[in-house]
This record gives sequence, structure tokens and C-alpha cells, in this order.
Amino acid sequence: MTKIRISNGMFIAMIVNMIFVKSIGVTQGTLARIAGQDMWLATLLGTLQGMIIMYITYMALKRAPGMNFLSLGEAVLGKWLGKVVALIVLVFFIASSGPIMITFVYHLRDYFLPEAPLSLFLVSSLLVGALGCFYGLEVVARLALLGMLFIFLLNVLIIIGSTHEFDIRNLLPVLENGFPAVAEASLHYDADCAMAVMMAAIVMPFVNNADKHGGRIGMTGLAATGMVTLIWALLEGAVLSSEVTSQYTVSCMKLARNAHIGDFLQRYEMIMIALYSVPVLFEIMICIYGTSVSMSKLFGLRRDRWMIVPACLVIAGFSYRIVGDHFKAMEYLEKIWPYIALPIAFGLPVVMLWLAVVFRGKLRRAE
Amino acid sequence: MTRTILMWCAALVALMTCTSCVGQRQINELAIVTAVGIENGEKPGTIRLSAQMIRPSDARGQTGAPSGGTGEPIYSALAEGETLFEAIRNLGRFASRRVYWAHNFVIVLQEDYARNGIEDMIDFFTRNHELRMNTRVAVTSDSPAEIVSTITGLEVVPGEAVDNLFRDNKIVSQAPSSDMKNLEEAYLSTSSQPVLARLSLVSRGISNKKPQEHGSLKQVELAGAAAFKEATMVGWLSPEETRSLLFFTERLDNGIVAIGCPNNGNKLSVEFRDAKLKVTPSYRNQQPEFRISLRTKADVVESGCDTDIAKLRADIERSLEDQLKETIEATLHKAQREFHSDILKLADVFRNKFPAEWRKIGNQWSSAFSEAPIEVTVKAKVNSVVLKSVGSVK
Repeated sequence: MTKIRISNGMFIAMIVNMIFVKSIGVTQGTLARIAGQDMWLATLLGTLQGMIIMYITYMALKRAPGMNFLSLGEAVLGKWLGKVVALIVLVFFIASSGPIMITFVYHLRDYFLPEAPLSLFLVSSLLVGALGCFYGLEVVARLALLGMLFIFLLNVLIIIGSTHEFDIRNLLPVLENGFPAVAEASLHYDADCAMAVMMAAIVMPFVNNADKHGGRIGMTGLAATGMVTLIWALLEGAVLSSEVTSQYTVSCMKLARNAHIGDFLQRYEMIMIALYSVPVLFEIMICIYGTSVSMSKLFGLRRDRWMIVPACLVIAGFSYRIVGDHFKAMEYLEKIWPYIALPIAFGLPVVMLWLAVVFRGKLRRAE
Repeated sequence: MTRTILMWCAALVALMTCTSCVGQRQINELAIVTAVGIENGEKPGTIRLSAQMIRPSDARGQTGAPSGGTGEPIYSALAEGETLFEAIRNLGRFASRRVYWAHNFVIVLQEDYARNGIEDMIDFFTRNHELRMNTRVAVTSDSPAEIVSTITGLEVVPGEAVDNLFRDNKIVSQAPSSDMKNLEEAYLSTSSQPVLARLSLVSRGISNKKPQEHGSLKQVELAGAAAFKEATMVGWLSPEETRSLLFFTERLDNGIVAIGCPNNGNKLSVEFRDAKLKVTPSYRNQQPEFRISLRTKADVVESGCDTDIAKLRADIERSLEDQLKETIEATLHKAQREFHSDILKLADVFRNKFPAEWRKIGNQWSSAFSEAPIEVTVKAKVNSVVLKSVGSVK
């Protein structure tokens, strides 16, 4: 397709960055509300489900080397029906901007800059995101590597600052609310995985040897995300207790505020939020990228860059409506977003795999 | 390339102009609160808040020696309102600077206020992004306004002094290390109840200028605890009872016990160490039961017995066991019969071992706990007399 090449390490880092930010930020609170102290189990179960769907995505793209879901749709369904796939992907990425912006804005505004206007956060993040997209996917992927390093440091800081208050009794008894509650909660983590799956559906063709190792790399990325997120799920459950975690929109900040190293190094959440900001900006970049790519396909444009500014405007408008009102934001996050994310991210790969199998002749001709 | 670098530089310069513009607060414009007292207001349904704020020019250094300031390291003020937030905002009517909460060390609640319920206080202080979660929380039967403005110990700032009392609390172990984090956790938990430390004003300080009036200076004492049921205070625990409570809640492993010499009327100090408390729950006849066993080692650290301690060893062990058992039973009795509140976190242990049974009786845990048979056994072993030889006399 193009000369862009993403290394396998970058792709894993992209998956981790894409899921980690929201999953520790706002998802753990939701999991605690549903599954109580079993939120770590829900995270684990969600990781396994995400790995399966990532593999299905790989299986679909493996049958169409060099293509993403948009071009695969066009190749098997034709120009006009192919636009339906582009429209679905577009809807997904616009809808995903809601939880992404909720994560970004509520972290910064509610805990650090309560007097700053919402527009400041939206405009600044979209400007940075647009700049990243303008320089291309490779630059964004490199940023993910930096984000991965920051996630590692962030986890080290939270472990050092919280482990001394770790109380295993807060995680017991296991499965107190039953497996159905854990399964239900895991769907919210799946909604986070959905963002990585849809990102993979668009960028996997640019990954080195994706047709050979894409599935393994994708699943490794999800497993790595599961591990780094599990640390937070365990700490939030054991240090804060699930009852406290469930009270907060941004539960990871509650843990971060509480972390301290000895008696003398306290309130270092500002350092943690600085580390956190790179992955969150990466997430915004991918959201803009996905929106602009699918818009370009929908409108039949040859260059994705032309759609960066319109994509930012659409995302800004949508996010402004969602993020401005906490009640609306929570309703969207917990009651609407999973119903958009899961059918698309879990259904589309299955449909695309089916199409790729059924129309393999057509695909071969298109190649 | 040059164009790109120039563009980046221009962007960075533009970014610099934005720093510290939004939500900026200059340090010289802040009134930094270090302790806050909360009590019922004069009018029914109102809350009175007393805040202790530092006067930076007078609080610097170890002594707080004035350097052109007033000589008073703190400024304390009272405000009232129908809610906590309103009272805090009302402080702004006369505090010449913006009240800033991020460095608050301690929240002191008056007993009457605590007995009416502290839901509003827990909610306010956990909803506020400025506050630290390790801010200490305590209850007093004295005036909280007086507590927060009383200079205690060597510190210049009273709030910091109280924080230091909490920090070294492990040594004395007669009050819980209660802070906002564990208060919120216990309040929200379905299986444990909050316990807060007790602060009192005691006349124990000796004035350097009037040493003959020894004990004339009031000091803040950290000892004892206030027991809660949900968010309502239900009673006090004495310092000894509180120490027994700490075996359950903070895994207390050492402390000092004074016991009478078996051979004469003098006293002997025993330091118990490596104490381990084990709670074993069981469920019989639709009722929870508990077996509590405390095992500890002990050292004789002071003796007025005037005899070979080796001969008294068995008697000392028995006395120590009796004393520890007595205070644990006294604490259990208060929790079960007086407070009807599981401040010992026994429900946590029961819930973890019997989740299915917990589902049946969890809703009525207060009554189930009050009626639960509890058996206490204490086993102590004296195995050291520290530096002195075991067989030495005089």
C-alpha cells in the first residue's frame, strides 16, 4: 500500500497504549461497580476475549495481504457497499472519542485544573493529535514506544507507592458475586480491547511480516496490556478496596493520590500524570487517524491528510457534548459505548473473515 | 529541515506563553491550612469549622522565630455554614488569602458532631481533589478549635505536631492510625466499621518561664479511639482497649505491659514482641463463632522484683497472658454488647472464609456479631531479660 513500516515492537506498544489508558483510568471503576473485588478477574477474562478477537482480525487480514478492513470491504463488496464498512469504522472511531476524551479530560481537569475550560483540553489534545497524524503513522507508532516506556515507569511508581498498603483481604472472597458478574464486567474491558482491535484492523497491513506473525504479535500486545493493567486492578482492589474504587469516575487517580514513598515523598501524582499523558495523546492520535482514514475512504479521497481537520472537528463536537456533562458522560461510558464498541469490534472481524473466505476468488483478483 | 526546526521552535515558544495562565495560584496568595476542626454550629443544623493556617514568615525554621512578622506561626479562624463547603467558603469572608487544603495534616471532629454522623464530612473530603488521602482524622471531646490551635511538642505548627504524633504512633500504640483513606474504606465497607483516633487536651507541658507551674501548658494527647457504627460515633475506647483493637486492625506486634511482681509489691515491665493474632471463624447453628488466639514472645525490660527472674518466669508469663486476655475481652465486650459494631473487622475474616453464609447473615451482621460466641486464648513466652544475666540478683 505505502512505504510506512511499523516494527513488531511498535505494534505491541501501540496496542498497550491504546488499551491501558482507559482501562486503568475509568474502566476499573466500572468493573468494581459490577464485579466488586473480582475486578482483576474481569480484567483477566477480558484480556482472553480480546486476544481471541484480535486473532480473528488477523485471520481476516491474513487472507488479504496488504489490505486493511476498509480496502478489504471495498475489494469484496464493491465500491459502494464497501463504503458501508468505512461508515461502520468511522462510527466506531467517532464513538470511541467519547471514552478517550472522558479519560483525558477528567484526569486533567478534575484533579489538576478544575477551573480550566473544557475547550482548552479538547483543542490542545486535538491539535497535538492532528500534528501526530499529519506526520504519519510511523511517527505515531514511535510515540507509542515512548508511551510504553512511560507506562512502565508509571507502573513502577505506583507499585513503589502503594504496595506497602496492599491488603490481600480486600480481594477476598474470590467470585463472591458469581461468575456472571465477572463475565458482565469483562465486557467493559472488552470495549477497551475493541479500540485496539479496530486500530489493528486499520494499521496491521503496515506491520512488518503481519501476514505471518500478525496474530501472535497482536495477542502478545493484548497479553502485555492485560499484565500492565492487572497491576492496577490488583492494587486498586487491595489498597483502596473495591467499594472505594467503585465510587470514583477516575479510580486510578484515587490510587495515584494515595501513593506515597515513605513519609517524605507524597502527592507525586503530577509526575504520574505526566507519564500518563503520552499514551493518552497516542490514543487521541489513533482516534483522529482512524476517523480521517475512514472518512477518506467514505468520500473516496486519495489522501487521508485532507480529512485530519474535518475529523478533528467532528471529534471535538462529539466529545464536547459527551464530556461536558458528567451524568451524560457516565451514561455514555457504561450504557452506550459498550453497545457500540462490542458489536462493531467483535462483529466486524467475524464478518470480514467470513467475507474473505466466501469471496476469496474476488479477493485474489483484487490483489 | 531548517523550516521544520523553526516550526517546532515557534510552537514551543507559543506553548511557553500558555504556562501557568489557567488556574494559577501564587504561593504568596494562599492561606495554607494545616489543621481543621469540625463541630456543630451555634444554630441548629449548622456546622462550625475552625481552620489553622500557617503564617509562612513566622513558621519558618525550627523555632518559628519572628523576622518582622507577628511572632505567631499560625493563624486560626472560625466559620459557620449549613454545609461544610459553605462554612469553608465563609472562611473566605475574612481570610485575606485563598484557603488552600492540599497541605492539611489533620481533621479533628468534635464528639457531638461525630455522634450525629459524619457522612457529609467523609463525602466532602474525599470528593475534594486538593486533599491528601493520608490526612489524619481524629475525634475529640474537647473543643476542636482549641486542639487545632494548641502548640504541642517541639513543632512550631500544631497540625504538623499532631501529624508527627500519628507518625510515631506505632511506638506507643494506644491509638489507631486513622486517616481519610482508611476512614473512607471502612465507611464504605459492608463488613467493617470505622474507628478514629482520640485527641485530648492535657495539661502536661511545663513552661520554661514558669517551671514552678509544672503541667500548666496544655498539650494535645493522642490516646484512645472513637468507635463508629456506619457513620455515627457510638462510644469511646480507652487507650488500653485501643491497643487490644490494634491487634485486630493494624497487626500490632509489640508493646509494654506493667505487671506486679509476684514476690513483692513492686512492678515489672514486660515488652511483648512478635505478637501474632489469629482469628478462626466457624459457623454453627446459623450463628458465627470465633476463636481468637494471640501468641507472643516477651522480654523483661525493667524489674523491681529484686530476685532472680528465672524463678518468676512462669508467673510473669501467666500475668502477661491474663492482662492481654483481659483487655482483649474488654474490647470485645464493648464492641459486642455496648456498641453493637464490628470495629474489629471480624466480619472480614468471616466473609472471606464463609462467603455463602455471609450472604445469608451479612445484612444482619450487627446482631449476629453482638451474639457471636468468642473464645480468647493468649499464649506468652518470656525468653529474654535483655542485657542482664538471667540468674543475677541485685
